[in-house]
Amino acid sequence: MSVTGTQAGGATVKERAGLALNNDFLRKAVKFTTERLRNGKINAAEDHGNWDEWRERGRQIRLHTIAHLDYYLNLFADNARANGVNVHFADTAAEAVQISLDIAKRAEAKTVVKSKSMVTEELHLNHALEGIGVEAIETDLGEYIIQLAGETPSHIIIPAIHKNRYQIAELLSADAGETLAPDTQVLAGFVRRKLREKFLEADIGMTGCNFAIAETGSMVLFENEGNARMVTTVPKTQITLMGMERIIPSWSDLEVMATLLPRSATGQKLTVYMSGITGPRREVDADGPEEMHIIIVDNGRSLQLGDPEFQELLNCIRCGACLNACPVYRHIGGHAYGGTYSGPIGAVLTPALKKNVAEWDDIANASSLCGACYEACPVKIPLHEMLIYLRRRKLEAGRGDKMEALGMKGFAAVMSNAKRYGAVLKIGQLGQKLVVRDGGIRLKIGPLKGWNTYRVTPSLPKESFRQQWKTMEEEIRHGLQDMDPAMKDRMEQIVKDRAAGKGGHGHHG
Amino acid sequence: MAKTDEHQAWLAELEAKSRAKQVGFINGISGKLRRPRSAEPPAHPFRGAPEFWNEFEWPIDERVEKFRANFKAAGGHSERLATMEDARAFIASKAEEMSAKYVIRQNQPELNALGLEEAIPDASFSVWNSDAEEHWKARAAEADFGIVVADYAAAYTGSVTVLSSKDKGRSVSLLPTVLMVIIPIERLHTRLGQILVNFDQAGRENLPAGIHFISGPSRSADIENDLTIGVHGPGVVYTLIVG
Ligand code: SF4
Repeated sequence: MSVTGTQAGGATVKERAGLALNNDFLRKAVKFTTERLRNGKINAAEDHGNWDEWRERGRQIRLHTIAHLDYYLNLFADNARANGVNVHFADTAAEAVQISLDIAKRAEAKTVVKSKSMVTEELHLNHALEGIGVEAIETDLGEYIIQLAGETPSHIIIPAIHKNRYQIAELLSADAGETLAPDTQVLAGFVRRKLREKFLEADIGMTGCNFAIAETGSMVLFENEGNARMVTTVPKTQITLMGMERIIPSWSDLEVMATLLPRSATGQKLTVYMSGITGPRREVDADGPEEMHIIIVDNGRSLQLGDPEFQELLNCIRCGACLNACPVYRHIGGHAYGGTYSGPIGAVLTPALKKNVAEWDDIANASSLCGACYEACPVKIPLHEMLIYLRRRKLEAGRGDKMEALGMKGFAAVMSNAKRYGAVLKIGQLGQKLVVRDGGIRLKIGPLKGWNTYRVTPSLPKESFRQQWKTMEEEIRHGLQDMDPAMKDRMEQIVKDRAAGKGGHGHHG
Repeated sequence: MAKTDEHQAWLAELEAKSRAKQVGFINGISGKLRRPRSAEPPAHPFRGAPEFWNEFEWPIDERVEKFRANFKAAGGHSERLATMEDARAFIASKAEEMSAKYVIRQNQPELNALGLEEAIPDASFSVWNSDAEEHWKARAAEADFGIVVADYAAAYTGSVTVLSSKDKGRSVSLLPTVLMVIIPIERLHTRLGQILVNFDQAGRENLPAGIHFISGPSRSADIENDLTIGVHGPGVVYTLIVG
């Protein structure tokens, strides 16, 4: 069915859509609203009380689901199939790619419109699609920008955080074939028009999945722009790629995730859109995909199952809070991590997915044991402890130098003796003492050498942590690629905005 | 939209493959969890929100007030109106103010009874899925205004919920530039959980294909963390609480 051929008052729909999009009234109305949002007194996000109780509930739901993942995933697959979805299982990235390509070939697809999905990044799916002559178009504003630049996301929630508006204007001007002013509204307006055509023409819509509801076989997407709704409403075929651990049992459990995810990711009470999709369009419906595929991807996830130290990694809801909280991430930026996932979660997840501690290279050492990631995590994943386990495993595998081995043995001894480490700070204090006794914190010169390069003295009270970080920052400056100060400002602004509840970044599955 | 037999055969082949693979895939998980696979649903003592939350409820006037405040804070507009006639007058005045030329609305009884077509004589109206031959996604894409009646709303997050059906297109709340949502006051609840529980109770067979929560205009902060609205979805959203 060709959209472009439909007549409406003598103009093609594409032209009509263009007209509507060009309408001055949107510009005016939007200008007024953004000014209100930007300058007006924004009520600071009303403190959502009992935050720790919510976190604990979120953790319990995730722990329970993962502990019974065989039951819930099986239930989800059966229910999704009963809804008319074509369900697929992929053990590896290569298998998931192959299934996606087969579907694209069968659909004789020319273009695929995509909403933000870390799983497809993990699979390098865009590349594979291009290989068979299918154009894959990222439709999230930030993703579209970095795709034009030929780059990968630097932040899981804010992919283009490393670009300023002038760079973006340059990229989009080249795309438009005319000079666009470096004005947010103008640039976003261009992308709206341009992508609107792409949505209407595309053969396939491709998404990730934030949560999959086992009891009804539904998939849930959180987003702010509306592009995920577009790709699940307009094209004829929908392909959803989901990590096998995205499951929650019920819609009631979704309330807890919907409370934790947006608040942790962007400080919003809820993202602008939360969509639950249960199967392809019904026979009588006039929109929605005719054919729907869900590809359930393992790709190393199941390696964490039954591993007492790492199983909790599967609880992650990909909110990005640990990135924003991490002083090291804020310093070096996402690209330095090298993998699909950056920040504290990336430092642990990247090697864990491959069960390969060698993957845990120097850059992943880039984390302090300050515990800020744990405190920020809405499902209480003890990332800082996992970093210690990883270091230990790496050393056990014969990597790391002697001094570190000495330090880590100390860690291991203390950690196996003491029964419990309730307080994060406590571990930090112990670690620091040990390391200091073993020769002090050695600050190596040269790029990204050794785990203690980035070690932030963890025993200080929070108030002075920032000051301490500054000194550290100066001391180790020579050994680090500095984050662009403008980017750092933006990161800091985001942290502030989160507190004020005015975040506008999207989500992805 | 009849699919070819060949295509159906291919899908059937995929399904057989998937069913076969599912057994090993799931058994692999059980194996890694080091226990046999159970067919019984596990006891889930932590289902849903914490207990203290489930008792929380605002009186109706506070619900209205909080909903409006949240919706405005997200960049949307919200009014409380006494009657459906007021809603008609409000929508007509906005349509005139913004010179809306193309309007699409859901085929809902409340809207059928509203007489919007007479109130906005200058606009060309479409009623979702009222003609099987029409290309409805295109009608929605060209529209200046989309008009829907919400199925539910939640005050605590400032969200409206719209469900898809034959008469309620997902495109109508997504593709137009301006979205008007009428919320009958009795559908306004306090918490998200009061809405979500209905989907658990309805069960799989009774769910619509699309359940959408909308909490303001489409927005992005992807360019220099500078908030902009109307990126892909409607840039202007009005919620009219009636009653
Ligand atoms: S580890 Fe926790 S804080 Fe980090 S992305 Fe996952 S859920 Fe969010």
